[in-house]
This record gives sequence, C-alpha cells and structure tokens, in this order.
Amino acid sequence: MEITFAVLLWAVRIGFLVLLYLFLLRAFGVLHRALAAERVSDNAVRALGTLIVERSAGHSPRVGERFSLRASTSIGRDAGNDVPLTDEAASARHAVLELRDGEWWIEDLGSTNGTLVNGTRIEHAERLRFGDELAIGRIALRLEKGAG
Amino acid sequence: MIAVTRRRPELGLLFWVAALGITGSVAVAAAEVAGFRPQQLVVPATFVVIAFALHVFLAARGVRGDQLLLPIAAALTALGLVLVQRLASNLLVQQLSWTLIAAGAFAATILIPKDLTALSRFKWTWALLGVLLLISPLLPVIGREVNGARIWLGVGTVTFEPWEAVKILLVIFFAAYLEEFREVLAQTQRRFGPIPVPPVPYLVPIVAMWAIAMVVMVFERDLGATLLFLGIFLAMLYLATGEVFYTLIGLLLLLVGGFVAYHVFGHVAARVDIWLHPFADDVRFDTGYQLVQGLFALANGGLFGAGLGNGMPDRIPVVWSDFVFDAFAEEVGFAGAIALLSLYLLFVYRGMLIALRAPTPFLQLLAAGLSFIVALQTLVIVGGNSRLIPLTGITLPFVAYGGSSLVTNWMLVALLIRVSDMTARVRGTP
Repeated sequence: MEITFAVLLWAVRIGFLVLLYLFLLRAFGVLHRALAAERVSDNAVRALGTLIVERSAGHSPRVGERFSLRASTSIGRDAGNDVPLTDEAASARHAVLELRDGEWWIEDLGSTNGTLVNGTRIEHAERLRFGDELAIGRIALRLEKGAG
Repeated sequence: MIAVTRRRPELGLLFWVAALGITGSVAVAAAEVAGFRPQQLVVPATFVVIAFALHVFLAARGVRGDQLLLPIAAALTALGLVLVQRLASNLLVQQLSWTLIAAGAFAATILIPKDLTALSRFKWTWALLGVLLLISPLLPVIGREVNGARIWLGVGTVTFEPWEAVKILLVIFFAAYLEEFREVLAQTQRRFGPIPVPPVPYLVPIVAMWAIAMVVMVFERDLGATLLFLGIFLAMLYLATGEVFYTLIGLLLLLVGGFVAYHVFGHVAARVDIWLHPFADDVRFDTGYQLVQGLFALANGGLFGAGLGNGMPDRIPVVWSDFVFDAFAEEVGFAGAIALLSLYLLFVYRGMLIALRAPTPFLQLLAAGLSFIVALQTLVIVGGNSRLIPLTGITLPFVAYGGSSLVTNWMLVALLIRVSDMTARVRGTP
C-alpha cells in the first residue's frame, strides 16, 4: 500500500513535468502555424493603397500629389488630417478611408457638403475599388493600388 | 450583430493548461502530511472553468487574431496557483479570488474602450494619472510602508500596489507621445558630434522621466520600479526613433543615478552589498538570509528537481511573493525552470510579432511596450533570484502571489489581444 502510493506520487510529479513540456510543444506548434498564415497576409497587405490628386482648386494639394494610405486615413480641412484639403467646401473632419477585411471603405463623417464616389453622393460607408474617384468640394482623388 | 469566431487552437491549448493545473495541484496535495483530499480539487477546477469561460467570451465576442497569449497567460496563472498552494496554502483562496477579479478585468478591457486608438487622444490624462498614482504611496494616511519600501496604498486591510497600474498607463502614454513626436526626435538636424540634439521642448519629457524615476528610487526606496520605469521608457524611445544615442544617454543617466544612490542612500548600498557578498559572515544569517536560502534551493533542484511538494522551499522567507522562481526550480529542477522561462519567451515573442504587424504606429508602440514590460520584469526578478543582478521587489508576472500584479497583467494580455484583433480586422484574416 505504502509503496503503491509512493509510486503513484512520483508518477504524478513526473507527469506534471511532462505535461509542462507537452504544453510548450503545442504552443510552439500553434505559433508556427499562425506565423505561416500571417506571412501570407503580409504579402497581400504590403501594398496598401495610395490617393492621387486628380483635380484641385489651389496649391494644396497639388494635382498629381500622392498620399500613402494608412489602415485608417482621415481626410478633411484641418491640417491634422492624414490628407489635408484646403477647400472651403471641405469640413474640418470630412471623411475617413479605412481598410476593413482587406477592402477599402470610405465613410463620410457627417460633412456639410458631402462626399462623392464616381460622381454619386454617398449616404453610408461605401466600398471603394482601385481606380474609383473620390470628390470633396473641388478636389478629386483617385484610389490606386500600392504604396505611394 | 457580431460574428462568432472559432478559436480552435486556443481551445486545444487550454485543455493542456487544465491538465497541467490539476496535475500540479494533485501532486502538491498528495505530498502533504494530511494526504490528498478531493475537496482540494475545487481550486484548480474553478480555475479551469475561468480559463474556458474567457475562451468562450472571446469567441462569442468575435475576437480575431492571436490565440496563443490567453493559453500561455492561463498556464502561468495555473502554475502560480499550484505554487501558492504549495508555499502559502492559507493565501490560496485569496489568490483564486484575485484570479477571478483578473478575469473580470480582462473581459472589461476587451470591451472598453470600443475604439482602442482613442486611448491615444487622452495621453496627458494618462500621464497625469500615472504620476499621481506613482507618488501616491508617499502621501500620509493612505500610503503604506512594507519591508522598507513605500510602494503600497492601503484602505483598511486591503492593500494595493499602484505601481502595477502605473506601468500600463505609462506605456499607453509613451506610445501616444512617441507616435506624435517621434519624427521630431528622430530626424533632428542639429548634431553635437554623433549625438542628435533635438529642440529643447522635446528633451523635457526625457529628463522629466529620469527625474521621476530618481524620486521613486530615493523616496519610495523601490529599485525594481525605478529600473522597470526607465527600462520601458528607453526601450520604447529606441523603438520609436531608432536612435541608439538616446538609449545610451538614458543608460548613462541611470548609471550615474545608481552610483550616487549607492554612496548616499543606505538601502541601495545594502542591496548591492547583499548581491556582491551574500555569504559574508555578517550577511548570510541576517540581511542576506533570504537570497542565500534561495540560492541553496536553486542548487538543491538539480536537473529534474526534488519533485513537486517534495523540496524545502519554505526555508526561504516570503518565498510565495519574492522567490517563486527559486521554489519552482527547486521542485521541478532545471528542466522545469527552463520550460517556465520558455513560456515567457513565447509570450514576449508573440507580443513583439503583434507589434510588428499592428496597423498604426500607436498600436505598434503599445504592443511592443506591453510585451517589453513582461520581458523586463521576468529578467529583473529571475536575475535577482539567481544573483545575476541585485534583488529588487519586482514580481514574476502571473506566477508570484499578489493581486494588483495579477489583475494588471491580465489587462495587459487583453490589450495585446485587442491590438492583434484590430490587425486581423484590417487585413481580413481570421
């Protein structure tokens, strides 16, 4: 009886150490697979997108100027925006361009004069495809693939 | 409508965590004089329920991205509960309650704030709150002094270590601050030899951080917090600017501060002397007793240890909060200690990968800073326990006994998972 208990006790102690290492191995496996999957998405997302100025009212932004996009890019009249627009028709915080699930979406932040996608005023958040034209006031911007 | 996500790898790993926690608890209970009683399984069973509940919560909320951090944090917490049961079983129920609160804090951090990037807008609020909390133990009435370090807040019998919350607030502040000013700090034109000299206003925060760290060292007598505080700041500064010289200047300031403190303040000199000569005749049975017993425990562990519940780690004073690493190494040996350190390595590596892929500079710096907290804390306490560096009052993340530390560390995990979730949403990956 005593001996059986001692053997059991040691089995539990060794089992604890073995389990610790098994957990560690499994965790390494999970990390390894996650890394492989993320590397694939790295290549897909590497080139996020660029906004190119097509038409402009004044000197800022110039026609042909390029803005590299971040995952969330703010557009508006304030100098603090990622894409600042000097046009009196633009609101201070006018719209935001966001990457969601690998797709670009434009959302108007309740601006006074609205945002146009390919000539149509948007009501809700709208999916933007590469080549689409975005118009705010007298400024027009085109979404292109790849970083600036 | 939130889409439910399947988090299969996470679920799979949690089964191993459950097995690990229960086996450890049984091993400890069976070795006790009183023998094994089935009701002792209540604690590990409750923990397993908490861990699976968190998994279900994440899946139901549709959280995407990382599936590794929750199982690793759960495994470390499970090891912590096993060690509290072994070393201070009278504190076990308390530690389990703290685990429950930590799980609640984790869930709350997943839900609030709705937009994680909004955190960066209130950076000066975080900075002010952090500094107030940091100096709060110096205040009369609520400040408490424990073992010579004045780092506690107390109301009645409940004590709280504000430093633990401060470290997360500071990382959020640093991330927001550096996101805004890193270009000014990195691309400064004026150079003094190879040293970049940024415009004076941008130097102020760096000097202010050093000054605050020195205040903590001098008045709160907390070496560990000082080290952690400056370490986090310097690491994040380096990550944001890529300027080695800022880091070198910071390290130089730290060395100067440490050198002066060694000669002026008794408590700093005492720590260093214990570290250098723990076996000296007047030290080993007195101020160095704890460290010496810790070193004996480490040595006694050997390759595979004495077996869980079979060593003598209770010889070390306050082992459950200061010396858990040595206790663990004594009972499961070098093999167990390496596995424990590997878990931290995996955690930090995963955190840094989340940082690399995060969509905005703020989120990148946030994730990197949070991972760095865990890395530096582990290094400082394991180094202190094994006499690589002077011993400080830092706790081993997730494992050491202590409520404030457990709660904030779980909030840290939640923030990392949220950064990873945002990355997955932007990229359209699961």
